[in-house]
Amino acid sequence: MILQLRVKSSSGHDLKPIAAVESVSCCASSRPFPLSHSLRAIVNMENQGYPNFQARPPPSSSSPFASAPPPGVRPQSGGPETVGFRPPTRPFTPSAPPVAPPVGAMRPFQSPLVSQIPGQGIRPPPPPPSSNSFPSTTYGPPGGGSFQRFPTPPPPSGPPPPQTLAGHLSPPMSLRPQQPMGPPPQSMTSGVPGGYASPPPAPGFQQSMPPVNPSYPGVGGPPQPSFPGYPSNQVLQGPPSSYPPQTGGFAQHPGQQNMHPSYAPPTSTVQALAEDFNSLSLTNIPGSLEPGLDRASFPRPLDGDVEPNSFAEMYPMNCHSRYLRLTTSAIPSSQSLASRWHLPLGAVVCPLAEAPEGEEVPLIDFGSSGIIRCRRCRTYVNPYVTFTDSGRKWRCNICSMLNDVPGEYFSHLDATGRRMDMDQRPELTKGSVEIIAPTEYMVRPPMPPIYFFLIDVSFSAAKSGMLQVAAQTIKSCLDNLPGYPRTQIGFITYDSTLHFYNMKSSLSQPQMMVVSDLDDIFVPLPDDLLVNLSESRNVVEAFLDSLPLMFQNNVNVESAFGPALKAAYMVMNQLGGKLLIFQNSLPSLGAGRLKLRGEDPRVYGTDKEYTLRVAEDNFYKQMAADCTKFQIGINVYAFSDKYTDIASLGTLSKYTGGQVYYYPGFQSSIHGDKLRHELARDLTRETAWESVMRIRCGKGIRFSSYHGNFMLRSTDLLALPAVDCDKAYAMQLTLEETLLTTPTVYFQVALLYTASCGERRIRVHTAVAPVVTDLGEMYRQADTGSIVSVYTRLAIEKTLSGKLDDARNVIQQKIVKALREYRNLHSVQHRLGSRLIYPESLKFLPLYGLAICKSTPLQGGPADASLDERCAAGFTMMSLPVKKLLKLLYPNVFRVDEWLLKPSADLDDLKDVLKRLPLAAENLDSRGLYIYDDGFRLVLWFGRMLSPDIAKNLLGADFAAELSRVTLQEQENGMSKKLMRLIKKVRENDQSYHPMCFLVRQGEQPREGFLFLRYLIEDQMGGSTSYVDWILQIHRHVQQNA
Amino acid sequence: MVKMTLIARVTDGLPLAEGLDDGRDLPDSDMYKQQVKALFKNLSRGHNEASRMSVETGPYIFHYIIEGRVCYLTMCDRSYPKKLAFQYLEDLKNEFERVNGPNIETAARPYAFIKFDTFIQKTKKLYQDTRTQRNIGKLNDELYEVHQIMTRNVQEVLGVGEKLNQVSEMSSRLTSESRVYADKAKDLNRQALIRKWAPVAIVLGVVFILFWVKNKLW
Repeated sequence: MILQLRVKSSSGHDLKPIAAVESVSCCASSRPFPLSHSLRAIVNMENQGYPNFQARPPPSSSSPFASAPPPGVRPQSGGPETVGFRPPTRPFTPSAPPVAPPVGAMRPFQSPLVSQIPGQGIRPPPPPPSSNSFPSTTYGPPGGGSFQRFPTPPPPSGPPPPQTLAGHLSPPMSLRPQQPMGPPPQSMTSGVPGGYASPPPAPGFQQSMPPVNPSYPGVGGPPQPSFPGYPSNQVLQGPPSSYPPQTGGFAQHPGQQNMHPSYAPPTSTVQALAEDFNSLSLTNIPGSLEPGLDRASFPRPLDGDVEPNSFAEMYPMNCHSRYLRLTTSAIPSSQSLASRWHLPLGAVVCPLAEAPEGEEVPLIDFGSSGIIRCRRCRTYVNPYVTFTDSGRKWRCNICSMLNDVPGEYFSHLDATGRRMDMDQRPELTKGSVEIIAPTEYMVRPPMPPIYFFLIDVSFSAAKSGMLQVAAQTIKSCLDNLPGYPRTQIGFITYDSTLHFYNMKSSLSQPQMMVVSDLDDIFVPLPDDLLVNLSESRNVVEAFLDSLPLMFQNNVNVESAFGPALKAAYMVMNQLGGKLLIFQNSLPSLGAGRLKLRGEDPRVYGTDKEYTLRVAEDNFYKQMAADCTKFQIGINVYAFSDKYTDIASLGTLSKYTGGQVYYYPGFQSSIHGDKLRHELARDLTRETAWESVMRIRCGKGIRFSSYHGNFMLRSTDLLALPAVDCDKAYAMQLTLEETLLTTPTVYFQVALLYTASCGERRIRVHTAVAPVVTDLGEMYRQADTGSIVSVYTRLAIEKTLSGKLDDARNVIQQKIVKALREYRNLHSVQHRLGSRLIYPESLKFLPLYGLAICKSTPLQGGPADASLDERCAAGFTMMSLPVKKLLKLLYPNVFRVDEWLLKPSADLDDLKDVLKRLPLAAENLDSRGLYIYDDGFRLVLWFGRMLSPDIAKNLLGADFAAELSRVTLQEQENGMSKKLMRLIKKVRENDQSYHPMCFLVRQGEQPREGFLFLRYLIEDQMGGSTSYVDWILQIHRHVQQNA
Repeated sequence: MVKMTLIARVTDGLPLAEGLDDGRDLPDSDMYKQQVKALFKNLSRGHNEASRMSVETGPYIFHYIIEGRVCYLTMCDRSYPKKLAFQYLEDLKNEFERVNGPNIETAARPYAFIKFDTFIQKTKKLYQDTRTQRNIGKLNDELYEVHQIMTRNVQEVLGVGEKLNQVSEMSSRLTSESRVYADKAKDLNRQALIRKWAPVAIVLGVVFILFWVKNKLW
């Protein structure tokens, strides 16, 4: 017995080690090859697309950014080191003018400058400078986009040869209003370009400057001109005699709050620095807003959302940024680095974003080989996987697991390791693909598109005309509902009782069944409440025709919303689908009954305030959870002019991936068009049913929180019963390991859904981002739009658990922290004085931060927006894609009267017309006509002095009437037609919402205030901060602990 | 009463269509669906060639017909007349072949003909109630004969493949185990030998050594 045991164990022992050794050796033999191979592939790829690109990090850890090190690291790098740096920079700037080498040669002490250059490699190569003799101009353009907005000043006429240095310095100086440290009067002088040439400002001089005194006495200093060519500039002035003091004080700008995006003081160090970040010099004089202050030069996103496209070009196989946008395209390599990055680290995903013609996502059927996925981490095959072992194996790019290639999928590799059939395989070349899912991805056969309507037919619904419009719209959309011929449709109406409709195809008229027992809901018919549209078409149409008539004399004001919702749930829970709720008043009967709250002003401002913004009754959250489980997505349309508790109703949408549409005080004559368009859009847009979404990422990082309208099914699985192109989701990631060892990190979004045609599909978006060790690089690659998106969601979530003030403060603090960190990054090396510095990529962040604080969900106090408006806007903004959100935060305002007067003008020159203006009242001319467009509303603002002809032409006879009673209609003249065409065009640009058109005349209070002035976010309005004050506040906070 | 309807391709078991709200009011519909899938898999392996068959499972019974490489299967209560069930399947078959006939072989994705579910739903309703005049008429129709259709148990049907697998598995396990046994036996034998003779050898050795020492000394 004993013996036997011993034998067994010994034999087992013999076997195991051998196996272990084998596996180890096979790993060891196979790993190095594919890895290096993949690296090479990446490098190759980049080189193809980017012959002169250098800043993109090669996979090895430090080399990429060695050229742009954290400034503190190598401030004193002397000549020898400079030489060491230069070679890398040269190959990548082949288009640079031949002037470049001399700079280095002449000025070896400029190591910081040189070292910064590679970092600029991403930006466009410098254009051939007009002033070739000034080396500095070669550096000018890379300094940032805003630099190019301002024409380079003419080269100083004065100083010849000895001025190589001086002339080199002059352009930045001329861009920069200088303030002497001396008495204020001298500050009137300004940068006449040549003027600065005479004093020799040595580099060392700048550094020896004393720190800036924020409260410089020269408050009264007159406004400074800033950039030549900028419209709002003052005339350059100033006698040459005042130069000396200026040179002494050029680092400071007492008495001024000027912003100087991307230009530099004359020392080489600062110049180098200026290429790395933008700065905004301001001294801190709280509350002093002198007239003529150069607000015009504050950074403003007037070109709309600018996507950082350097990475799209660098990684052409990444999915398009409309699907996935990272907050920074450079992932920090360590937790310590991540903790210094105070901005959110995450992504905004819009899985079904509408693709323009010709860029549709390719559809792939893997057929019998099955979907190729990694065995371990379940990643889908994507352009970044590498094939090895002559095509028999592939290595997962996310977990680097070696997988077998199925026989059907096998293809030989060519000499470079590429698959021969690469061109026929979109999944290996495109970042976004759609895969047909086999049966393993179905728990049941694909469901048909189902639209179920739950319509409040109480008194106000009939009176406001909502029923009429809704019924008409639904009827007109019947032909366009997706999924013919499987589409199913059903209706329940309710007031104090529930009405079911039997729509059996054999009937000619629908049969109505009334259930008045609200406590114990039952469904009176097992079938035929939810019917196939193509079969019961006639009955459905008959029903929709008669619906408004049936209830036109209804005087019932009660609303049994909760029971109706339950009934709808019972009808739908076999299959799921989309539930559209039309609610006209506060739910007053049965389960889910809501109280009139929010009337009590005493609650505001207290710690209990947030409870008004969350669902009152647990019933709603519970129903939402149940609905999600059974694949029911809920869209809420609310119409009441009184309090409807959107906070509670919206909860249904929030957790079922739906949307809230709010039409306060609905009147069919006013809001009819809006409802018609938005309902039609909701019904006819391509929708993904019974879907789930997951985002995978490489080892060491993990998505930790998700923000948007959805329900989390497990830790990282988003359940989305019905999702469409207008929904986006934000997520934040954390580093799990202290150190990331891989050179890049991959992200893969996978949305498994049922298309309306009955196909089960998987939409896969793959993207890659480099891992960096340098905080500066992270800032450089930051994406403001995405960051703002995440911030907005965080702030709105914060309002659900705290005061509005807190939420706003959080935003401000986050921005401050980020900028402070950035400042610390550079303050070691550079004298920053009192300037606020920020990376080029984040130049709009402070403004958007202000816009978030002034957005409807967060703005002001209780009086500034009704509770319902706040909540509705909050729910909407939680799901908006980046571009639409940015437009809502910083809306378009443009002037149209001049364009309207132009006789031959056509829509071709629309680009000129749509020139956006800063959102400040000072930019509005009272002789003008302006259009304000935030994607949800259009406001036509008539200046007080607008020529009456225009008003007459546009408004017809009642041009002098009070504009609140006038609606814009097309008149029989060219001008009006032109305007209507323009408005139509604006509306067509973005179909997801139908902006309603409001007319308002200047000075028409209080309408002007709440329709228009309130949204001029740069202005100070009733207790809110203006843009200037905001910047000052941020600056002060940044400096406090700097 | 018809509980569930599935249509699949026999050659590879690919589901082509399915009645939509199937599984309603059925507590363990998932289990039955699994059984159906297993059944299709068996069919695609060519185990059951009978083109018409009834298979009992729990309180229900599967009826299926195979025609033109497509299997039409329905699950009914045991009490539901066999005759009606098969006529129901015939109806489905006729319509399905009429509508999708040419495309059946080329269908690549699962549920390629899911649009057929509307027809399934409609037809199902006709057969729902056994007492309607129409259905009684069908029941009395002597021409449609279902008596010779074999009825088997689902365990039996699904078990055929399983059992074969089990047997081969067992035999292979036997051979490998017997080899191991032989090795061990040899080993044991040797050790036993050692055990048996080691004391004797040691004693003899000691004796010889003693003798040798004795010879040397004396």
